[in-house]
Amino acid sequence: MRAIALSGQTASALPRQRFSLGYVLIAPLVLWLLLTVIIPLIGAVGLSLQDMRIVGTASNYIGLANYGRVLSDGAFWAAAGRSVLWVVGNAVLQTALGFLVAILLNQRLRLARAARMWILLSWVLPTAVLVIIWRWMLSSAGGGLINALLIEARLIRLPISFFGSAESAMITLIVINSWRWFPLTALFILAGLQAIPDELYEAAKVDGASAVQRFRHITLPSLQPVLASLGLIGFLWSVNVFDVIWLLTQGGPSDGTTTLPVFIYNAAFKQYRLSEAAAASVIFGILLLACAALFLRLVGSPERER
Amino acid sequence: MRMSFWGKLLGTAALLAVLFVILFPIYWMAASSVKTPREVIARRVTLVPQSFTTQHYEKLLSASNFPTYTFNSAVISLSTMIISVSLAVLAGYGVYQTKFVGRRVFLRAMLVAYAFPTVLLLVPLYFVLSALGLIDTYFALIIVNVTLTAPFAVWLLQAFFRNVPQDVIDAALVDGAGQLFVLWRIVLPLIAPGIAAIGIFCFVTSWTEYLFASILINTDALRTLPPGLAGIIGQYQIDWGLLMAGAVAMTLPLVIVFALFGRSFVSGLTQGAVKV
Repeated sequence: MRAIALSGQTASALPRQRFSLGYVLIAPLVLWLLLTVIIPLIGAVGLSLQDMRIVGTASNYIGLANYGRVLSDGAFWAAAGRSVLWVVGNAVLQTALGFLVAILLNQRLRLARAARMWILLSWVLPTAVLVIIWRWMLSSAGGGLINALLIEARLIRLPISFFGSAESAMITLIVINSWRWFPLTALFILAGLQAIPDELYEAAKVDGASAVQRFRHITLPSLQPVLASLGLIGFLWSVNVFDVIWLLTQGGPSDGTTTLPVFIYNAAFKQYRLSEAAAASVIFGILLLACAALFLRLVGSPERER
Repeated sequence: MRMSFWGKLLGTAALLAVLFVILFPIYWMAASSVKTPREVIARRVTLVPQSFTTQHYEKLLSASNFPTYTFNSAVISLSTMIISVSLAVLAGYGVYQTKFVGRRVFLRAMLVAYAFPTVLLLVPLYFVLSALGLIDTYFALIIVNVTLTAPFAVWLLQAFFRNVPQDVIDAALVDGAGQLFVLWRIVLPLIAPGIAAIGIFCFVTSWTEYLFASILINTDALRTLPPGLAGIIGQYQIDWGLLMAGAVAMTLPLVIVFALFGRSFVSGLTQGAVKV
């Protein structure tokens, strides 16, 4: 890592006069993000202080009333709790699967090269398609593959209704979402594994370290920076998941899979409480910021050692 | 590390199992799309189609809005790709080639932007885009998709810029070539795999984006594939054969793009991951 950073910094034979050009080159992107991220976010804070229900209608300034309403809303905190469950479930499943698959992909196997690319297919698949496939495979009506196979194997007698109860719907969603994301997790971990020099293992072997010891004292510590950034990004990406949940359960049954993104969507576009949704977004953002800061404090920033 | 024969066999078997878990649902979708309606919903499932029909595809093309959705998705995805790649290449070159003050801050900001949970932007962007009267236009989705993809594209591109030998650039500059000329004629060809990688990323992201597409577009004639296909679930009393055909048609372009350029995408992705 360091060597690459250095070669990037040394080279330039004619440096100074390019300073201004750098700003010109990043300007379009910076301007774009300013207009489409920063300004809307500021606008949303303004919106959260109003009492607007539908966009474009007249509204009044009502101060922090929306914040009070959201913070004292049991449904908001229940959704936050489900988001925690969702993130933890996904993290555990994807890390476990990702690790196993990464280790497999790191072996000198002919199949491993091709597999590295093709396992990503579940991640490339559009959500709408993924949802159609899984909904149908899990269907309890005719043509539902998984139920049919389970019945044929005499493991069950009546079809399981995977989305029937809040608990099983949540578990099913976590499994489906992990199916989509574990290949990417595996590839990130694989990249970390490949960055570990073989000599370290050879040396440890010569010193008589067992496979478990090598894993604990070489693999895990070397992966620490990768796992830290993966953990943070994975957290932010999975807490953000909306479409899979919405398209499979719409947050049901009886709100059992309503995570915070679904809560915000419902408030804004189903219940027409736009200003409250804006307030909920701001609170959600602050909660995420707090979680991210806590995470960096506990795990250590991947950039600190530079 | 050398592996024994049995180790290899076991490893290959495990990998095949992983591939099966990933690929089987996709096979199942394709197989079901050519079964007759009767076989599709039969109680006894058939793993290999016993019948063959193209009727679902014909229905998809003639009796649904699928062609319109495809056109809309293509326009939006390609526009997003062009804008996003241009912005990312310019910015990436700026960061790599000129050591301007604050480039670290800029890169850090890109990292934050791509990890940023987009659902937090849902209400804000909807609010601003409606104030501008852009709801129900291609522009709304193109704008959003560029915002969703460009920061990550900049990151992905860094790994490829680092592989460009600095002497080549310096030699051209000493010869009096302008920076933009150097970027266009010398650097771009060298980072072609990187361009392919971010191009795929932008295309795939916009082709599959559901949340904003379902909120920012209300007219059926302007709808993109993801909400369009999801809408078919409710629209017809679920016609699984038709849905599977739609799903295959929507996935096919992605699989082709992926087969052609996936390798550079994966390498950019993993190189970026290590260096983050």
